[in-house]
Amino acid sequence: MPSTSLEDAGFTDIDWANESGGRSVLDAPTLGLLAGVLAVAALLVYDLRVGTPFGLLNWDPTRMDWLALAAAVLFGRYGCYPLVRDRDRTLSALRSLLARPAGALSFAFVVGSLLLALVGPELVSFGYPRLEHRLQPPVFARVHVADVYAYSCVGELSGGYCHGTWRYPLGTDRYGESVTELLFNGNRVAVKLGLTTAAIMGVVATAVGTTAGYVGGLVDDALMSYVDVQQTIPALVVYIVLATLFLGEIGGVGDGGLFALALVFGLLDWGGIARLVRSDVLTRRSAGYVRAARAAGASDLHVIRRHVVPNSTATVVTALTRRVPLLVLVQVALAYLELNRAGSLSLGRTLRLALSSRVNHLPWHETWWLSVFALAFLVVFVLAYSLFGDELRDVLDPNEGMV
Amino acid sequence: MGADRRDDTTGPLLSVENLEKHYPVRSGLLRRTTGYVKAVDGISFEIREGETVGLVGESGCGKSTAATTILGLEEPTGGTVRFDGQDVTDHDADERRAFRRRAGVVFQAPTTAFDPRMTVLESVAEPLEIHGITDPDRRRRLVADLIERVGLPESMLYRYPDDLSGGEKQRLALARALILNPDLLVADEPVSALDVSVQAEILSLLETMRDELDLSMLLITHDLSVVRQVCDRVAVMYLGEIVEIAPVEALFADPQHPYTETLLASIPEPDPRGERTSVELTGDVPDPADSPSGCRFHPRCPKAIPPDAYEFDDGMFRAVLDLRLDAEAGAVTADGFADASELRDAYDLPAALADPDAEAELVAAIAALLDGRTAVAAERLSEAFPTVCEREHPTLDETAAGHPAACLRHEK
Repeated sequence: MPSTSLEDAGFTDIDWANESGGRSVLDAPTLGLLAGVLAVAALLVYDLRVGTPFGLLNWDPTRMDWLALAAAVLFGRYGCYPLVRDRDRTLSALRSLLARPAGALSFAFVVGSLLLALVGPELVSFGYPRLEHRLQPPVFARVHVADVYAYSCVGELSGGYCHGTWRYPLGTDRYGESVTELLFNGNRVAVKLGLTTAAIMGVVATAVGTTAGYVGGLVDDALMSYVDVQQTIPALVVYIVLATLFLGEIGGVGDGGLFALALVFGLLDWGGIARLVRSDVLTRRSAGYVRAARAAGASDLHVIRRHVVPNSTATVVTALTRRVPLLVLVQVALAYLELNRAGSLSLGRTLRLALSSRVNHLPWHETWWLSVFALAFLVVFVLAYSLFGDELRDVLDPNEGMV
Repeated sequence: MGADRRDDTTGPLLSVENLEKHYPVRSGLLRRTTGYVKAVDGISFEIREGETVGLVGESGCGKSTAATTILGLEEPTGGTVRFDGQDVTDHDADERRAFRRRAGVVFQAPTTAFDPRMTVLESVAEPLEIHGITDPDRRRRLVADLIERVGLPESMLYRYPDDLSGGEKQRLALARALILNPDLLVADEPVSALDVSVQAEILSLLETMRDELDLSMLLITHDLSVVRQVCDRVAVMYLGEIVEIAPVEALFADPQHPYTETLLASIPEPDPRGERTSVELTGDVPDPADSPSGCRFHPRCPKAIPPDAYEFDDGMFRAVLDLRLDAEAGAVTADGFADASELRDAYDLPAALADPDAEAELVAAIAALLDGRTAVAAERLSEAFPTVCEREHPTLDETAAGHPAACLRHEK
């Protein structure tokens, strides 16, 4: 037992009359978040009034890019900051994630695809597509081109067969665009859309789920009834209606419907996640640490910020990582159906061009590299993100493993 | 000491008068209130400065609700709680903050007692943060000091609750409750979830801290042996009411309420040659939404008062009353009993009651029961064997033993 002398009985020895009792609402992370949001807002105002603030980078952001920037600020605050602050836990979670084969593989792919989305297309400069280099086969492959009008083969041409080269390792499409570059760009579109939509969904679902679960009563009933109603209207249908009505009008805008897609799904597809958050909050509301905090005089705001929301993040993040691949599939399908025109960038457009025989001189199976690589990438992408979500849940939620 | 430390030493630190907490039971589409669960139904007691009062009862008797209501974490539906002479429901915001500082609490649930995402330091320092100690170094110093005083190494500050044992968590929960230097500590089942060996450690730590810090304490438990070790006085609760309140020695030496007697009898006896006779409780704890009429303990009471018309041997009226209550509730039917003697065995009834008139009534009722006429049997039993305990509600009155108890046997 420690010291029992009576002199130091007033061990916490605080003269409460002299304490400010100040409740600082603005801690460092919140200030950082505010600064980030303000910075994005300031840049946006500059963009609208003067012109692109990223002239040096040779980048004129679209509406979608602005949304993605705002999402990045949110991820910095609620994703990266906690990971860095609790380094030890992050590292131990990472270790147990990497100890699982599926976890390690999916983690590697997800990190790789995020990095490639950030710097890929710029890092590997392909220059402009050259029409004369159209329909080059991938390296180590060959294609019969004797019947193709005005074909020029970059590699070796022998016996009517053109052989692939390292200049275009995955070949080129009918416009002379490198398939490698198409994949990089497709990845960027997928990640940008996924993260932005996930950020919107995450914020709305957390806000609604927490409010419903914490306040309860009529508020809970009203919010959950609204979720019921919303879930009967699939976001996809709303988007298709909007796209049919307005997509022609916004043709001049570079994001070609990606912005609208992110907004529609972000604002209409969070119902299931909000329910998960709500049931989490319901159990947490009466947890010992919440009762102890209340007994010590904590306000509702304190309890929500310190205990309720941070403890829901694992649920939200897991749900979102499993939502992202679905969303990417939806976007690819829409681009395939020409209901979404993500520039020349979406994998859907790549697939459509590869599989349509209208303009093509060769049947699709002879130019197999146009579809196979894109399809394979899509499959791996969806698989990796879904697996990552599953593995993340197992790592972050040890209770589930014990059941 | 803080300026708001109590300056008068005359009145009790905490005084609870007729405290009530009734929860509405809602049902139906419109959620109409169809009844009330009387979790706490008019309890009164006080805690003087430096005194430790135990609140004992079975689970579901309302003792934890009493704690949360006294602390103002739930609004009482009636009665008053005075802390340091002031009604806690009348507090303005500043007074409420001061009350939160001066009343610490340790809850039972050790598994969820700490936020899994916060370090020990963050959790124990949280009350400091809530009360505006913004300097993190200062918080760390205070927590480090206190953690050593509850017997844990400073190295524990940066651990997470998942890595801690139940005993360590309970020490930390105590540290968190004491970090604001309170005058009153409310401990709700502080040791019931722990191993027996750890229980003793935590109890002696509680005592040490109480003596060092001059704390008053409200200890809520179902375990009378804990009470005997720590408390000065003890209040026994049954279904939302206090049925007996006494200094610990007096209660153990001379219990005045049959419920207290059964609780005492259930303490494991260290001395096998001890003279305590075992008293068993029959029946389950009644539903608090539908509490029994009269004395709430009468459906289980081993000393229910028999009607004046008959003489009963010890315990025999209880057996008859058990049969009667089961028959009224439809819980006993002819099925499963071949004859009257088998049924009598099941209810510990002798072959014949001492009183021939009573025996005649009983035989007739059992015959009706075995004939399948349960309603007739029930009516016959309730007419023949009424008890004053189901009609009159006892009040907590002074007894011959010198302390109050709420039992009709003392009012006769």
